[in-house]
Amino acid sequence: MSTVIDAAQLVFQPYVLLVILCSAAFGMFVGAIPGLTATMATALLVPVTFFMDPVPAIATIVTATAMAIFAGDIPGTMLRMPGTPASAAYVQDAYALTKQGRPEAALGASLVFSSIGGIFGTLVLITASPVLAEIALKFSSFEYFWLVVLGLSCAVFISPGSPARGLVALFIGLFAATIGLENPAGAPRYTMGSVELMGGVQFIPAMIGLFAVSEVIRTFIKRGEEVRPPATPGKGIFRQQAKNLVTYPVQALRGSAMGTAIGALPGAGADIAAWISFAISKKFSKTPEKFGTGHVEGLVEAGASNNAAMSGAWIPALVFGIPGDSITAIVIGVLYIKGINPGPMVFITQPQMIYAVFIVFLLANLIMLPLGWLAIKGARQVLSIPQKVLMPVILMFCMVGSFAINNSAFGIGIMLVFGVIGFLMEENDIPIAPAILGLVLGPMLEQNFVTSMIKSDGSFIAFFERPIAAGLGLFTIAVWMIPLLLLLLRRRPPAGVSEP
Amino acid sequence: MRVTDLTLGLLTLLGGIAIYISAIEFQAIPGQAYGAGTMPRAVALVTGLTGLFMIVKAVMEGERLPGLNLADWTQSPAAIARLVSVLVLIVAYIALSPVLGFLPTAVAVMTIGMLILRVRWWIAVIIALVAAIAIQQSFGRLLLVPLPRSDFLSFLW
Repeated sequence: MSTVIDAAQLVFQPYVLLVILCSAAFGMFVGAIPGLTATMATALLVPVTFFMDPVPAIATIVTATAMAIFAGDIPGTMLRMPGTPASAAYVQDAYALTKQGRPEAALGASLVFSSIGGIFGTLVLITASPVLAEIALKFSSFEYFWLVVLGLSCAVFISPGSPARGLVALFIGLFAATIGLENPAGAPRYTMGSVELMGGVQFIPAMIGLFAVSEVIRTFIKRGEEVRPPATPGKGIFRQQAKNLVTYPVQALRGSAMGTAIGALPGAGADIAAWISFAISKKFSKTPEKFGTGHVEGLVEAGASNNAAMSGAWIPALVFGIPGDSITAIVIGVLYIKGINPGPMVFITQPQMIYAVFIVFLLANLIMLPLGWLAIKGARQVLSIPQKVLMPVILMFCMVGSFAINNSAFGIGIMLVFGVIGFLMEENDIPIAPAILGLVLGPMLEQNFVTSMIKSDGSFIAFFERPIAAGLGLFTIAVWMIPLLLLLLRRRPPAGVSEP
Repeated sequence: MRVTDLTLGLLTLLGGIAIYISAIEFQAIPGQAYGAGTMPRAVALVTGLTGLFMIVKAVMEGERLPGLNLADWTQSPAAIARLVSVLVLIVAYIALSPVLGFLPTAVAVMTIGMLILRVRWWIAVIIALVAAIAIQQSFGRLLLVPLPRSDFLSFLW
């Protein structure tokens, strides 16, 4: 109990509360601008968190991302331009409601059920994390090796597009992670004589490049997008929601649970959670024919799901140090910078910090209701800012943010290189998330792999000798084999049909 | 501008081979068989296998070289020029900010960026000036980031 009180004292300080409020406003702004994602909001915030204490730093990211995921629904509803990929699943229904003259019905459902999903995910995070952390204390390098491989495998197979292109992305990230002196032998790798590269690829400028600069390049190519004047939501944003809660309690619960579970899966995030939940909602709906015509049912389920996923993604991040999605991948970098090494030991050495994170999550999801209401009301102004004005300013923020990490122009160079790589990857349908997970998890994978190989004297059988390691190993192999088997089965002609 | 699976497979295979060759010289931990080269070699191996898989799959599906589907924007010299302009703006900031200082360079970079995107010049100048001062005040003064200084608007520092 004293830990919770200590944690509350860390959070309920005027400075931290002010930071939460400001980052909420920032998250709302970024989420509401089409093309700017929650991950981009996180990447842009990292240089600012660099100068904060751990609790306000984490609060900044948690609040901004929770807000950005919800705020992505605003342009989706009003302009049919989803602000974040997580809002894309149900944009058709939300926009159909706007066309029917009822944007408040869509935005209200999105706001309230985002908050419900976020709180559900947080409660699971609070209850599951300490239990999992106790189990994780028994893990050796073999279990961690399989856990990392499983996370990377899920990132490849869950990411949009072909798994082969996902693998290419993963190898780009893993290769970038090998650069520098950080390896078991302490030997310089791929540094080309550069002293700055000996420290490895700076994670934050690489993130800013992959997400923000690649988007800036795209906008320049398209020369900005014309912004249509949005519809203005009427009154009664909250009025319908009690009725929705009574009509769709199963959908709200199922969306929250599914979102938390998908978020907790390493590599999967809010985007995938929203798509899967929307599909499930339609599958089990009594009126599937209404989906896409302004039906609020799918919106309730997927809206709850994407915010629940955001909380769920923190479970593997805090317990194992393995990010659940791109955002928690960035968060892990921030935690390391702050001297907090995510993993089971943090629950023993700094429990007040963990409880402070939980409190921040609850606060962020509660504060979303009044701030979301304000954002919906002010959406017309935010949505009217043209991208052609915004993008050059964002580019400058990117450069200053990348510079601020080490007070060196080298960070801007890293940002530039990864910006071009990110642009080329997305042009070629190569997903970015596996590359980020590869970059973040590469050192952990290498350390556990080499340690395990030395311990086992080169024997791969040792990777399956401990029960949890064997279970994780077999599960990982299944993740790889099942898609291959399905591919082979699909290729085989049905019995009785001869090949031409 | 999308490369086909066959082309990407070839590039991936070549990448895997290049990583493997470059990793041969990395040292092992003294007295051990593993070390700095273990991870790059493992990455090279799976990269090469992925490349091979992509090539075989693409060939079986009847794909032929050359495998590059150009996007619409690649047909427009103006769009390509705008792409290059982003990279030039970043390089220009890296090169000029230590000489001219943060504020003039930032104002110039943002103004030129907005002009390229066809924002009216006076709006571009005003927004660039306000944004540069806001960034300088928040990062330079509040967060104490040592942004390159200059005499231009020196009272702000």
